Amino acid sequence: MTAKTHRQDFKAIAADYGQRYGILIALALVCVALSVASEFFLTQRNIINVLRQASINGILAIGMTFVILTRGIDLSVGSVVALAGVVSASFATTSATAGIAGAPYGFYIALSIGILVGMAAGWVNGVLVAYFNVPAFVTTLGMLSAARGLTLLYTGGRPVPSLTPDYRYVGTGDVFGIPMPIILFAVVFIAAFLVLSSTRFGRHVYAAGGNPHAARVSGINVKRVRMMVYVISGALAGLAGMILAARTGSALPQAGIAYELDAIAAVVIGGTSLSGGVGQVTGTLIGALLISVVNNGLDLMGVESYYQQVIKGMLIVAAVMLDQARHRHA
Amino acid sequence: MQPLLEVRGLTKSFGGVAALSDGHFTLHPGRVHALCGGNGAGKSTFLTIVMGIQSRDSGTIRVRGREVSFSRPSEALAAGVSIIEQELSPVPAMSVAENIYLGREPTGLFGRVDFNGMNANAQDLLDSLHFRISARSLMMDLTVAELQLVEIAKALSYNAEIIIMDEPTSALGEAQADELFAAIVRLKEQGKGIVYVSHRLSEIFNIADEYTVFRDGRFVGEGAIGDVTRDSLIEMIVGRPLTEEFAKTNSPTIEIVLQVAGLNAQNSVKDVSFALHRGEILALYGLMGSGRSEILERLFGLSPDLGGEITLHGKRVTLSSPSEAIRHGLAFVTEDRKVSGLNLMADLRDNICMARLNELSTLGIMRRTREASAAQRMIDAFGIKTPNDKLVVSGLSGGNQQKVVLGKWFLTEPGILLLDEPTRGVDVGAKREIYRVMSDFAAAGGAVIMISSETDEVLGMADRVIVMRDGRISGEVARDALSANSLLHLAA
Amino acid sequence: MTKFFKTMTLAAAFMGSTAAIAQDVPRIGAAVYGLNAEFMQLWAAALEQHPAVVEGKVNVTIFDGRYDALVQQEQFETMITQGFDAIIFVPIDIEAGATAVEAAHDAGIPVVGSNTRVNSDLLLSYVGSNDVQSGYMEARYVLDQIGCEGGVVIIEGPIGQSAQIERLEGNMQALAECPDVTVLEQQTANWSRAEAQTLMENWLTRHGDNIKGVIGQNDEMALGAIEAIRGAGLDVNDFAIAGIDGVTDALMAVKNGDMASILQDGAAQAQGALDVAIAAVMDGYEPMSPIWEQYADMPWNGGTDAEYNVPWTPVTAENVDALLEMRQ
Repeated sequence: MTAKTHRQDFKAIAADYGQRYGILIALALVCVALSVASEFFLTQRNIINVLRQASINGILAIGMTFVILTRGIDLSVGSVVALAGVVSASFATTSATAGIAGAPYGFYIALSIGILVGMAAGWVNGVLVAYFNVPAFVTTLGMLSAARGLTLLYTGGRPVPSLTPDYRYVGTGDVFGIPMPIILFAVVFIAAFLVLSSTRFGRHVYAAGGNPHAARVSGINVKRVRMMVYVISGALAGLAGMILAARTGSALPQAGIAYELDAIAAVVIGGTSLSGGVGQVTGTLIGALLISVVNNGLDLMGVESYYQQVIKGMLIVAAVMLDQARHRHA
Repeated sequence: MQPLLEVRGLTKSFGGVAALSDGHFTLHPGRVHALCGGNGAGKSTFLTIVMGIQSRDSGTIRVRGREVSFSRPSEALAAGVSIIEQELSPVPAMSVAENIYLGREPTGLFGRVDFNGMNANAQDLLDSLHFRISARSLMMDLTVAELQLVEIAKALSYNAEIIIMDEPTSALGEAQADELFAAIVRLKEQGKGIVYVSHRLSEIFNIADEYTVFRDGRFVGEGAIGDVTRDSLIEMIVGRPLTEEFAKTNSPTIEIVLQVAGLNAQNSVKDVSFALHRGEILALYGLMGSGRSEILERLFGLSPDLGGEITLHGKRVTLSSPSEAIRHGLAFVTEDRKVSGLNLMADLRDNICMARLNELSTLGIMRRTREASAAQRMIDAFGIKTPNDKLVVSGLSGGNQQKVVLGKWFLTEPGILLLDEPTRGVDVGAKREIYRVMSDFAAAGGAVIMISSETDEVLGMADRVIVMRDGRISGEVARDALSANSLLHLAA
Repeated sequence: MTKFFKTMTLAAAFMGSTAAIAQDVPRIGAAVYGLNAEFMQLWAAALEQHPAVVEGKVNVTIFDGRYDALVQQEQFETMITQGFDAIIFVPIDIEAGATAVEAAHDAGIPVVGSNTRVNSDLLLSYVGSNDVQSGYMEARYVLDQIGCEGGVVIIEGPIGQSAQIERLEGNMQALAECPDVTVLEQQTANWSRAEAQTLMENWLTRHGDNIKGVIGQNDEMALGAIEAIRGAGLDVNDFAIAGIDGVTDALMAVKNGDMASILQDGAAQAQGALDVAIAAVMDGYEPMSPIWEQYADMPWNGGTDAEYNVPWTPVTAENVDALLEMRQ
């Protein structure tokens, strides 16, 4: 190895660090600026608000990270949010009228049903992508439409109201003052972090995304890995759908429209490469927080919401430009 | 006679470290001039400066005696200097003519592209070079060799006088390489000057008239090919005297480890039968498309079972997936490490451990210390030059990348090693180390099946050669009967 | 294509087959902007339950515009080709659909607007509710509750939509009567409960106790604000909150004492529009819907008025149970 390749390595590493910490620095700068601009920003209540507001998108984005790491995309999460929300909620309300309200297992059954509905949608996506070689974009675009249609069929277009207190606990409960959505977000994040960094499956995900051919030759079942990531994304969309329904107090068939875009945005801002194989859930966490912090801060400063969309758009493009710059160096 | 290209005292440093400290090069018309050097000798830096991709710190470049300073490749092209890169970048869905005239299509009324004129011009050009390619065929329908010929035609369409070829044969089989060499000879006859960069010494001795050697960013020497021996050229490139190039320490036993009977495989490979012995290096030889790689892919479970029996250590096996092949002690170094050998986005450690994840984990949880020590073991065993195992492998030289692939497979403690073009794109020094690894592996009781397009390598390493032609075995040659002639005779 | 239309006509004939000979009764098409939300579901259900439809005097087909002005335009073209006798039109927005109305008018098909206005003078009649009025009513309720002083926030619909513009106009008329009230925040949550919830959470952080009232331009957004208040650990009863539309969740919140809602009688808008449309194609038709008796303030006048104003009904503790009953 010569000086030249060493220098390239150094550049690549510097760019890599610049990018990984760049997003963290960006988040820190935005936080500092907002705490100067608004005296309310750093209050305990506001911090809890930001985290709670980030939790649904954050959970979706963590599932999306798995998918994008394998060079895929999941456009269906927003619709799966609605489908899992209405199905699980209808189950929770029926079990209440059936007289087993208040029984803890009733709630857990509803919870399992929500996650199972999400997993089922993800499983269909995964089988089509992995075993029938339908492009992920097309498969999940189809699911985006189909799951929304099923939701409307299931509900007749009307919300599922009167959620049981047990069900609503997912969205409104708290443990030691920490709201349930934040706790679930944290649990999902830690689990995803450990899976990706320390398990065999995590290594498979990175290998299958980094170079599927090489992974296959190395004895990794790439098709199964591809299928699994969509199941994970679907399961997390199911969980997010229940949190949303429980937070807003009723499961709306219109819920979650365009949520996939925010989830993809968080992943991309967090530095996960859309070409697969590179990225961490820590980046996604920061990406989701950055989106929430910006929205929250602009609300606090009384900036019109349309500006927030413009700023989010600029953030996404800036993050991708950083990603591109890194690829040029490498 | 005035040189076409004259470079003197070219220097370039990056952040205080010199990548090139004395670039010296002279090219005459009608000559093929080999630029030799190991990975990182400064060849790439030299070429990128000449082509105007990078700026120089000092030194002069003269084209036909006129001093030049290109700031972008298009300026070099306009001055008659063109490069045919190692990795070609055609537009696959466009025709040959469209690719040749990309960005400067002849236009007619209202800016409409004059396809007829463009196709006719391109066809004239291809015909004048004796390239048997239709200007109307699509790039995606061409072979790699034909793509290269199109690149050459493209260079000449710019009236290039100086043509730089960077590892042009790295993706070619022997027959295709011969096609390329014939083209080079015609270019010489037209008075063009060719800078030829290749790791394959046999090619250099075959095609080049002169040589220049760089080592560690410095000019080491130049001269006529006729005045230098193979060993002395290697010595100049590597910088130290060498013992024998092909280190061979193994000798085959009579114990059969793998028996293949009536095996069929993809691309009409039919009825292949052979045995592999403990301690043996068996070479599969043949032209591109003769079915060599397909046999290894079938043995490794990468392609479906199309019939035939495979017996490992006396037991029938199916080998229907790579993981099954790995469990049975097979390891497969594929033909193209970038396509199917490495995860270029991951670091050394992850790459080395990739085929051994089951053993490096407990109940699905990775054991980091085991991963780290496994990676370190392989880095030490193969002498991989890296500051640590967290370096992304895309930053490594070709030779070191190939050693990472070998490390990945040796970590699985294989009994049978399948090697498809194990030294492609690897410099002379690293090649020798790979030969040593192969032969030590066989000597220690392993068995090797290797595929190589380099006849020298086959002659130097194989204990026995099976020659393939059109998907079938056309002959078998024992080591003591091996010669380049006998191989070519059976293969063609 | 022709075959397709034949099948369509046949299908329509089967659907309306309570009538002896389907071809003989007038066919009326209803083009609505979208059926994904509860309000339009109620509207559509009321149309199908109209006595004239039930008794087979007319044949009604509902077209789902899927929230796309272009889709609605194409559905108009289909109805014109198929020779519908009259069209009831609920456009996605006031500015969208004038061309469609013109095309139907040129083909001699009368168009009756319902729920949302069209910016066209070619409408035969319009049966809807005055959004300015509802905006005034809900704001007046909030202002009365807080004693005409203190801070309020307004959660708006998508900026530029006719409902947002008119409800805001009504909000402002009421606010003008209370000069001591400050509007602390005014932003859109795009009719969405989840968006309103986030907005309200952030406003509570910024303004805390200063927010006394919440004017939500629809019920969904008012409900989002309620969830935000609960989430912040505050008492919903300390806030005066109002919304518009009377969706089921809002009715339950009213019953619970959390908010006030102004019921937009979508059912009356639908049935009223159908009566006007039938009168246009059937000589001597007398309205069959019970709404004309229910709303004495809205006289039938032979079905020839250019505009029928369906009154708003404030949802109160007294009438909420009856309203909820109707939803079952």
